[in-house]
Amino acid sequence: MDIKSTLAHRAYSETFAPKPQTKESKEADFTQIAQSFAETVQRGEAQAKAALTTQADPHALVTALAETKLAVDTAVTVRDKVVEAYQEILRMQV
Amino acid sequence: MAGFSQTFDILASGLRAQATRLRHVSENIANTDTPGYRGKTVSFMPDYRPDVPEGSVRTGQVQLDQSTLPRIYDPAHPMANADGYYDGSNVNLMLELADAREAQRSYEASLKMFEQTRRMSSAIMEILKR
Repeated sequence: MDIKSTLAHRAYSETFAPKPQTKESKEADFTQIAQSFAETVQRGEAQAKAALTTQADPHALVTALAETKLAVDTAVTVRDKVVEAYQEILRMQV
Repeated sequence: MAGFSQTFDILASGLRAQATRLRHVSENIANTDTPGYRGKTVSFMPDYRPDVPEGSVRTGQVQLDQSTLPRIYDPAHPMANADGYYDGSNVNLMLELADAREAQRSYEASLKMFEQTRRMSSAIMEILKR
């Protein structure tokens, strides 16, 4: 059995190379992120509603609102970044 | 962002536990002069329920102070026995006030950590904005 360096390289790349992401899996990832964002916001709204009708304790409300703010901040920042990149491409000289 | 939201949840469990403790302390203080009242104490224990993040705290079962009730001499009291004594409450006001102050301090510490976590999360977002 001859062992060549190319053989080792190939084995390495087969084992550790990142699997090429299909279009579907990328879309699924994005959908998941959007869904978890929507869930966080909805949880915040539900907690606020419950707290105003004096059902939930204020601690749960504060936690839910802080998490909502965190999620919205993240979404806004990422959106800004994406829009910025898109405009950068639009401004490109062709 | 899972780390930050878990931190929020754990801190909220701490705040809730201290609030429960303060509730029992105020029950004790309100009942200082109630004949036969035994002071309530509540213990803290780690919360292992599956729906809360690991490291959360919860309050355990309420326990009654088992020290002997003081016998107060007042023959005019409606609950006095034949010798003129009745059982008072075993609440120690000084202890209860110290406990309340300790609960307040722990609550403040948790609130500070809450604020700190929020500052950290907005700081990481600031980096992305540049």
